[in-house]
Amino acid sequence: MSSSVILSYITFVYFLSFLLYLMMMVMGKESIGRAATFVTLAGLAGQTFAIVLRWAESYRLGIGHAPLSNLYESLIFFAWTIIFLYLLTEWRTKNKSIGAFATPLAFLALAYASYSPSVNSRIQPLVPALKSNWLIAHVITCFFGYAAFGLAFGISIMYFLKKLEKPGKKNFFLRIIPRPAILDDLSYQMVVIGFLLLTLGIITGSVWAHSAWGSYWSWDPKETWSLITWLVYAALLHSRMIRGWRGNKLAILCIIGFSCVLFTYFGVNYLAGLHSYAQS
Amino acid sequence: MSVTQPFRYAQGREPVERQMVFDGKSGKLFCDCGIKSMMIKRLGFELLIGGCTLGIMEEPNRPDDPNILWKIFSSLKLTLALLIVLAIGSVFGTLIPQQESAMELAHKLSPGLARLFSSFQLFDLYHSMWFRFIIALLAANLIVCSINRFPASLRRFRGQPSPERPKLFANLAPQMAFALNRDLEEVSNNTSAYFRERYKRVRSATTAQGEHYLVGERGRCANFGVYLVHLSVLLILLGGLVGSIFGFEAFVNVPEGATVEKVMLRKTRAPRRLPFAVRCDKFSLDFYPNGTPKEYRSDLSFLVDGKVAHRGVLLVNHPITFKGITFYQASYGTIAGNMARLRIASKNGVEDSSFEAQLGKTYDLPGGHAKFEVVDIRSNFMGMGPAVQVQVRAPSGRNPGIWLFQNQEKIRRRFPGIFEKFPQLNPAAFEPFVFSLEKIESRYYTGLQVSKDPGVFIVWTGFFMIVVGLFVTFFMSHRRIWIRISKSPQGVRVEVAGIASRNKVGFAKELDRFRDKLQDYLLEAPPSQAETA
Repeated sequence: MSSSVILSYITFVYFLSFLLYLMMMVMGKESIGRAATFVTLAGLAGQTFAIVLRWAESYRLGIGHAPLSNLYESLIFFAWTIIFLYLLTEWRTKNKSIGAFATPLAFLALAYASYSPSVNSRIQPLVPALKSNWLIAHVITCFFGYAAFGLAFGISIMYFLKKLEKPGKKNFFLRIIPRPAILDDLSYQMVVIGFLLLTLGIITGSVWAHSAWGSYWSWDPKETWSLITWLVYAALLHSRMIRGWRGNKLAILCIIGFSCVLFTYFGVNYLAGLHSYAQS
Repeated sequence: MSVTQPFRYAQGREPVERQMVFDGKSGKLFCDCGIKSMMIKRLGFELLIGGCTLGIMEEPNRPDDPNILWKIFSSLKLTLALLIVLAIGSVFGTLIPQQESAMELAHKLSPGLARLFSSFQLFDLYHSMWFRFIIALLAANLIVCSINRFPASLRRFRGQPSPERPKLFANLAPQMAFALNRDLEEVSNNTSAYFRERYKRVRSATTAQGEHYLVGERGRCANFGVYLVHLSVLLILLGGLVGSIFGFEAFVNVPEGATVEKVMLRKTRAPRRLPFAVRCDKFSLDFYPNGTPKEYRSDLSFLVDGKVAHRGVLLVNHPITFKGITFYQASYGTIAGNMARLRIASKNGVEDSSFEAQLGKTYDLPGGHAKFEVVDIRSNFMGMGPAVQVQVRAPSGRNPGIWLFQNQEKIRRRFPGIFEKFPQLNPAAFEPFVFSLEKIESRYYTGLQVSKDPGVFIVWTGFFMIVVGLFVTFFMSHRRIWIRISKSPQGVRVEVAGIASRNKVGFAKELDRFRDKLQDYLLEAPPSQAETA
């Protein structure tokens, strides 16, 4: 069985874990929560296996390279980083409600990769520009950063949902979402991790561009959008650390920031630029 | 006369209750923020504070203050506004085609709109004056804010907190205290020994009531992380500036076998002479079985005074630097070589003949009555593909020059009658011969990006520092722990409290662990240790 077939099945594993997390929130049963974590963990294990398998397959084709070279492979890796980071967060915070907001992101990324006709899942050889040791460092740092911003986005959505809760009235769905103050702190921590990794991603990309294109910064749309994202999150961090912004304002900034991330990732493909190999 | 006013202030943390005292006689404002009293002169006010700066020091009735500029640049509102303006400006730059590709859009726009766009330098937005001006403002803002905040950080770094801080223990969580059935002095000495091993700058004090206080800290350097980040942003900007002033970016196409000494600057399209010559010995392409390119490779020689000083293989991602100038494999293409294969048919029965003609050489036409010469070879003439110009020299004095196209049949189909209409395109213009072009020799040229950027090293330093700085800023924290040891009905009561500059949750865990370990240590410590210590 080829890696892309396994990955298309993993899509449904993550959908199942999304449903389980939802059921856990609605029914409030701990056993369902445990099942959800188990299914997500199994999905991550399967996905890790499939990624390693794809890597091995590329060597069997004689064009061996890490599976991080085109849109399909990046989407797969994006889903992987989201789940990995989410499970780490679940383990640290001992709260499973974030799962209902993180797993759909991974599910959507995998579904887009596996079932969109415009995404090519074939293993392709590396074009000369991509043949560099910086490829792995650049892609890994960027996508872990994106995943952290994705979680911050999910937590900000949770924040607004939690605010709908009326005191005194028992709401089954919102009950186990942590207090707004905790969500606020958690999303801030995610932004911090994301900001550091995005910085590293821009730096590795810049050093790479210097050796591939002869210029560490060429205002290519993807570069520019990553800078825009960086500026938005820099503004967010300053407004929180110096002006003490909390709550609504910060959650809105997290959502704006993640839309910039998505535009850097997908939207830029509609603009001409140097990052064209990430389009198909 | 003095007025006491309670107030709350928040500086990147939860609001704290403090008291402010205004002394009418001296006109001084005092604030009980602890540590060490400091005097700061600002905007006509003298503010005596300890350990922290306040964000609320302004005198409303002095609009003509000479420091008004300083005040504007030290505002975080300006920072946020500049970050957002830069972000929005950059968005426009990605939506409007820039530089080379801008011409296309400029032609489509109405003349007025195009003029408006170019007067705002929207076609080269990232190098426009206003974009650079905003970056300069941001840099100034960064410097002023950092200078403004640095003294407070330095104070926090240097500051020796007083061990005696009874207020910290006023609302202590019950689990942060424990009781021991031991002697007060012994516990105090053991605690001090344990504390000194794990925390820095531990100091102690004993009050008149016989209470022992200890204070120690860790991670003092965390106070400087943010300055490292700001400094590295400035370094990166400086590196960019140095590169744009003292460096250049250019390109050059070098045909195989050719030598160049001049390159074309990207910005001005002006030629620039290199201090040496570059020869492309060979260009080669390699493909994967499925046809996608695998490798572009140029074998280059660098010549100084006509002698080869250095040879190197240039690949994508593997630039070559010679005498401070770096060469990158950027593109490739083909150009016409010196040879063309012509076919000459004749209407009077002389056999068709094929010539491998070299540019500029004269050949006899079949029959020997006339000669011809290939005077020009083009890989793409008038957008109609490879072509050569042939000049016939006949004794009769008729010297028609005709262009021959390789894609003659295609062109005939697209433009019927074109060859008959224009004599200079008519392959049968010199009777009785009919010329045709079979093939032109083509050569590869390698497209090189040539650049010199003395600012790169500064930028790299900035990159390294910003990563370190962000680590320090976000993951290190200045933690201070106070311990109070006092007599209690059970014997001795030990209380632990602390303040951290960030990551309160992590610090609470650290305090918990510290209290547990301290309790274990004190319970296990032999009483004799107290006497020797």
